Amino acid sequence: MLRRLVGAAFVLSVGGELLLAATDAWVPWWHRAPAFHAVYGVVGCVLIVVVSKALGKVWLQRPEGRDD
Amino acid sequence: MTEFLHPAGVYLVGAALVGIAPGRLRVPLLLLVPASALALGVALPDGHWLSGRFLGEEISVLRVDRLSFVFGLVFLIMGGLGTVFALHVKERGPHVTAFAYVGAALGVVFAGDLLTLFVFWELMAVASTLLILQRRAKRALAAGFRYLLVHAFGGASLLAGILLQWTAGEGLAFDAMALTGSTALILLGFAINAAIPPLHAWLTDAYPEATVTGSVFLSAFTTKAAVYVLARGFPGVELLVWAGAVMALYGVVFAVLENDIRRLLAYHIVSQVGYMVCGVGLGTGLAISGAAAHAFSHILYKGLLFMSTGAVLHVTGRSKLTELGGLWRTMPVTLALYTVGAFSISGVPLFNGFVSKSLVVAAAEGEHRAAVEWMLLLASVGTFLHTGLKLPVFTFFAEDRGIRGREPGWNMLLAMGLAAFLCIGIGVAPGALYALLPFPVDYRPYTARHVLTTLQLLLGTGVAFMLLVRHLGGEPTVTLDTDWVYRRGGRLVVGLAEAWAGGSARMLAGLTRERDRLSALIAAAGRRPPLPVGYWLLISLGLLSALILVIVL
Repeated sequence: MLRRLVGAAFVLSVGGELLLAATDAWVPWWHRAPAFHAVYGVVGCVLIVVVSKALGKVWLQRPEGRDD
Repeated sequence: MTEFLHPAGVYLVGAALVGIAPGRLRVPLLLLVPASALALGVALPDGHWLSGRFLGEEISVLRVDRLSFVFGLVFLIMGGLGTVFALHVKERGPHVTAFAYVGAALGVVFAGDLLTLFVFWELMAVASTLLILQRRAKRALAAGFRYLLVHAFGGASLLAGILLQWTAGEGLAFDAMALTGSTALILLGFAINAAIPPLHAWLTDAYPEATVTGSVFLSAFTTKAAVYVLARGFPGVELLVWAGAVMALYGVVFAVLENDIRRLLAYHIVSQVGYMVCGVGLGTGLAISGAAAHAFSHILYKGLLFMSTGAVLHVTGRSKLTELGGLWRTMPVTLALYTVGAFSISGVPLFNGFVSKSLVVAAAEGEHRAAVEWMLLLASVGTFLHTGLKLPVFTFFAEDRGIRGREPGWNMLLAMGLAAFLCIGIGVAPGALYALLPFPVDYRPYTARHVLTTLQLLLGTGVAFMLLVRHLGGEPTVTLDTDWVYRRGGRLVVGLAEAWAGGSARMLAGLTRERDRLSALIAAAGRRPPLPVGYWLLISLGLLSALILVIVL
């Protein structure tokens, strides 16, 4: 149910953006590219998780009680 | 008349009164002090007040203008909210310390000269340290002392910069400064309090170790007072643009690894202050106003988030994701109020973060700083990932660990409710906040494109979260940060000191033996009596002094 709601909202937001008249052509291309922010959200989130987890495993994480 | 009274003075006198007043006056005083300080602060007229000359320089303890007013106002509001949240605490110490801390922070933002600023800056450091130490747990004591050492270093840097400025004939006025050798020391002192990486670890080390009520106060004042002084002293410094953008991302990267919910939020203080520091660095009217607006919003939603997670710790005694879960059944009101804070920090439309964060992003866009804008947008993704999704999912939902929580007391819920009301109120009607900002703001946050693209960004994050959720639960680990340097460095210094002390003791023992041997020889020769002990002590001290000189030089 939740997944369907999120999916529907996702489609609506992208569709709504496509319907917007290009009256604000002064904005940078990434604000005009359809669904750019949706893709940026997905890719950015994956990137943050992957980079952080990799840093943690390789370098930063220690078992509890060992802070050095 | 009001210009002769300082809101900081109300809090400092209030701190003293709470410390000595009979127990039955505790609650009335706790309510009266923030209320009267707020009433006074709102009525303050613009200008320099409580002024005079000291050491040949103009000193102004109370400077009221649009920049100091907006910071002062939100400090006064948060002082009241934090006090209501802590109303159930019966000990005097936490209230005295919290009032001193709020008073000192108000002293900083209303300081019209560098000397006044320094005095309140140091008072703020001492009071905030005491707030951390009041938890009295071993980890809190250790974190509190590390916190004090870092802030003592920052304070020393600030004082050195001020003295160099003064001796160079630059005076003690606190206005925008060009970056020179001496002002760089002042900037370093400010940067430490703003928690700019790699100088930030005192925050994520200490804030989660404070008491439930102490962290609420801590989350509001020190870093935002630092944003204020940066905006006052160093607007438009390019270094701050990049420092802020890196900060915004640094916090979200470390938050992924965090298991403690209050430490996770502490990393998001670093991230959110990054937006403000970036705005200060951009230096345009829109950017400075954006930094001030975001500080205003941030204090409210971060206070609310620390109150909600503090409530969880208060009623369950747990603060780790690996030990929490399933609390939505027993703490639905806390969950709802937390969600308001989470939506606010994530910049969801109709919440205050949406109308303040976008000012800074728009300022970056207006200056054609595409890389900075992309970094700030990415930080928004990380913010929603952690505070909007990861923390509530694994605290209030996910695996039911059989914890039977309950809603916190009425005063805690009231403070959280008032903070939530303000978060939504500002989000729905941003004009009230925009009217307070230091520079006129001609910006409309509620355009169709802005709302839709923001929703896309958040929904995209939600989709990725659903895909990755199995990898995002808490892990029973701790994460190394830059405080490793002084944790290890501190142990090294202690080890060296112990070795030195041990060596000195051995040397003294050797000298004593030599004295006894020589004295015995002299006495045997019958030429002189044994040398007095003081004489040998002088020789020993001389040798030690020589050794210290060699080490120092």
